[in-house]
Amino acid sequence: MLCKLAWGNVRRAGRDYLVYLLTLTLGVTVFYAFNTVSMQVDIAGIKEEGLSELMGSMLGYLTYFLAGVMAFLMVYANNFIMKRRKKEFGLYQVLGMGRGRVATIMALETVIVSVGAFVAGIVLGVGLSQLMTFFTASLFKTQIANFHFFFSVHAFNLTLACMLAMFVLTLLLNLRAVRRTKLIELMGAERRNESIKTRNPWIAIAIFAVGAVLVGVAYYRLLRDGFPLTATDTKLQEAMNQFGITTAMVTVGTFALFWGLSGMLIKLLQGLRSVYWRGLNMFTVRQLAAKVNTVCFSMGVIAMILFLAITSVTCGMSIANVMNENLERYNPVDVSQTYVYYTPETLDYYKEYVNPSEADRMVLADATVDLYAAWHGERKSADNNDETGKKVNIADVAGEHVQIDSYLSYPLGGSGPSVAAGEMCKAMGEKLPKVLEGSNADDMGLFVTPASQYNKLRQMMGEEPVSIGRDQYVLTCDMGGELGDLYTKYMAGGHTLTLGGHELKPATDKSDKDTAAIANSGLGSNPGTVVVADELLSQLNLQPYASNLLVNYKRGMDVAEADELIKYTMLDNLLVDGKEPGSWGVFMTRSELYTQAAQMNGMISYLAIYIGFVLVVACAAILSIQQLSNVADGSRSYRVLAQIGCDDRQIRHSVMAQQAVFFLFPLAVGLAHSFVALKVIIELVSTFGNMSIGGTVGLTCAIFLAAYGGYFLVTYLMSTGMVRAAIATRYSE
Amino acid sequence: MQTTQTATPVLEVAHLEKVYGALGNVTRALNDVSFTVNRGEFVGIMGASGSGKSTLLNCVSTIDSATSGTIRINGQDVTRMKQAKLSQFRREELGFIFQDSNLLDTLTARENIALPLTIARTNSAEISTRVQDVAARLSISQVLDKYPYQMSGGQQQRVAAARALVTDPTMIMADEPTGALDSKSARLLLESLEALNRRLRATVLMVTHDSFAASYTSRVLFIRDGKIFTELRRGDTDRREFFDRIMEVVAMMGGEGSDAL
Repeated sequence: MLCKLAWGNVRRAGRDYLVYLLTLTLGVTVFYAFNTVSMQVDIAGIKEEGLSELMGSMLGYLTYFLAGVMAFLMVYANNFIMKRRKKEFGLYQVLGMGRGRVATIMALETVIVSVGAFVAGIVLGVGLSQLMTFFTASLFKTQIANFHFFFSVHAFNLTLACMLAMFVLTLLLNLRAVRRTKLIELMGAERRNESIKTRNPWIAIAIFAVGAVLVGVAYYRLLRDGFPLTATDTKLQEAMNQFGITTAMVTVGTFALFWGLSGMLIKLLQGLRSVYWRGLNMFTVRQLAAKVNTVCFSMGVIAMILFLAITSVTCGMSIANVMNENLERYNPVDVSQTYVYYTPETLDYYKEYVNPSEADRMVLADATVDLYAAWHGERKSADNNDETGKKVNIADVAGEHVQIDSYLSYPLGGSGPSVAAGEMCKAMGEKLPKVLEGSNADDMGLFVTPASQYNKLRQMMGEEPVSIGRDQYVLTCDMGGELGDLYTKYMAGGHTLTLGGHELKPATDKSDKDTAAIANSGLGSNPGTVVVADELLSQLNLQPYASNLLVNYKRGMDVAEADELIKYTMLDNLLVDGKEPGSWGVFMTRSELYTQAAQMNGMISYLAIYIGFVLVVACAAILSIQQLSNVADGSRSYRVLAQIGCDDRQIRHSVMAQQAVFFLFPLAVGLAHSFVALKVIIELVSTFGNMSIGGTVGLTCAIFLAAYGGYFLVTYLMSTGMVRAAIATRYSE
Repeated sequence: MQTTQTATPVLEVAHLEKVYGALGNVTRALNDVSFTVNRGEFVGIMGASGSGKSTLLNCVSTIDSATSGTIRINGQDVTRMKQAKLSQFRREELGFIFQDSNLLDTLTARENIALPLTIARTNSAEISTRVQDVAARLSISQVLDKYPYQMSGGQQQRVAAARALVTDPTMIMADEPTGALDSKSARLLLESLEALNRRLRATVLMVTHDSFAASYTSRVLFIRDGKIFTELRRGDTDRREFFDRIMEVVAMMGGEGSDAL
């Protein structure tokens, strides 16, 4: 009997429950689908060790967080439904039904809706996860060899656990609501002549203006200062503080905007008399004003969440794009090994902190050393083996190879660079790229490399050598973007460089970025190098900074096999006459970096889409529920409007206008914030490469907007339905 | 006094029927109702709960549709009008006053009164003067910038009356306008309606079950079980006497006196 009543209630209150059901279903779908990503990785045939576990656990933790967000949303939605149905529950009690039984009915209703949403969500989720497998495969750049239908018990359990927790929470809150409300309140829940919280419009306008100014100033500060990522230690704290102030300004400003919005709207439109006193404009504005006052806080929160969602998704996916797009340039050879020399600045540090036990043999480097020989094991025997006990010599693996020596632009014992980006900017009257501001990259200056090594790498990469005369230079930089542009501009302008008293002219009219990498890397290895003739370099007696050995595997050798073998070559301690002039640095195979980049790309994309989608849906659902509740509260007003001769079309337009403001204003504010933040981020990232917002980002944003717009549409359609029903209700008898 | 007026019919109701429900379970709310209201008349419709009086008002005011019969207002048959035309008709020809004043909570009194004009796209300067005029007539000028919740019940009803009058409608429909008011406010409102009727020749159709309210009208139609039971004209009698005559009819209709205040 109670079941029957509950089921009837759910069916009748279907419209109220629709947004609740829809959101819960979407939540279940997304939770399930994203928690199967680790399984998809396996099915897509990506055999990267630990990848599926890593993705699985990260997305799992994220699910708990997002379940928290969803729980908040569900409680909110549930409150809305309860508010609408107070009278009904009051009636049950008046008719003599005990509170316990009323509570049971309510619990049963919650069960019905939750189970319905869960089943629908899992079915959709299973479907979505099969589709996502293809997306996963393309993200990780593999083909699906053997696709088969799959169902993840793990994801199912996780989703079930989250839903159960949410269900229990809603249930407890509902029971508390029934227990605590007084019958008289339940019965009289349909209020008359609601008192309106009005704000002094002038104060509201002032607050709105303050909000606008705060946001404007925060924008200005962010555009001027950028993010405190590149500052050095001393300036970092200061920069962080400044950034904190900017963040606080934009947050307070956003809330102030929404707080003052209603007063602003009223005064603005009342000023335009012929607009205000026309059609339902006056009603629309007043209605908006009354509601904005009660929901300004949640609108502010929504604007900020949309801002975070849009920015993090766009930014994360774009960075992943940059990495992927420039991967070939960043990784010119199969494997690279770096050796970093001790300089007067670093020697003491190494002696004291890094390896004090061998401090005695550490010396300042006064010349570069031959890395291939050291790695080759000719100076000393390599004694590590693979599993079969086979000893591997670098010569068994390596084919073509080149060593690139990077010197600092000042002589041994000297200090301070003689070629630095800052000086170059000054010479051209340009602004220093943001990424270099306050960073120590500029203190170090550009590297210097001999032309013979540079040209050998070019040859390896199938390019013609560049002829560089004794009084000439070429600038190289593999990072592209702003830095590359700066160097090209410098050379195109025919600017000279002075190195050890020699004035050098550009050998070509643009800097090189395609054959500029000096090691394999994920985000570029060469922030700026001056390539000069060998004979000049030998005269200058510069301070060695680092040497990189770039090796291609033997022709015809299987890359995977070579990657495996090279692990068993040994890097001996590199001793020159018993002394150690530096230490081994990064070892990077191209395949490893490619895999890392693909993983990173996949990971970032999934995290971004997952977080972004749930947040956007949550925001849209809250807005939707607020709007439906507004329409429900205002049904009497719509009836009155119809009675005094307002036609349906005008009423629909008014509803549309009100809801458009609620949906679009937070979105507009969020987008504006994102736009400014992204502009700064793009500037920052463009130092490394041309950041493009397109492709997957475009698709993702389209999905988000479709979800947001979908909620808007559903809300509007449901509202017009409610308005129509309200108008049709006979007003007496 | 009424007899001296030119007898142009503003409202002609002929053989009006309204049936609720489907086959086998029908309720005949109105059964062959016919009557006429002339320009400048103040007509009351009385009846007990469920007698069909509100259904009658709903049909006349085009909010509900009749099952059969015709309703002509100013010569136009409203039972044959399309939905869009009906909105326009309500806007231009009718003014409504309800039991609960039905003012919009979010609008000030001034804006509530102006609403029918803005919906009809009257220009803003004219709106302003007309609102001031009607407010002055109903002595509510001092509350124009207040919200409904800041006004007394009587003020709210007079604002509602002002909203009904501001478009100069052919006919004012009042549905139990005093139902939610205390007796003093009720008297004030009724006197306002009477004055409007006398001085401005406004045609008023008021549904009520309150004999006291009905005694302010010039003619009362009594409805029972969906039919017109009888009608009573005030003629030249004073209000007190008319009230007594109304009470007699009410008593005769079957102890409905308990329904009157």
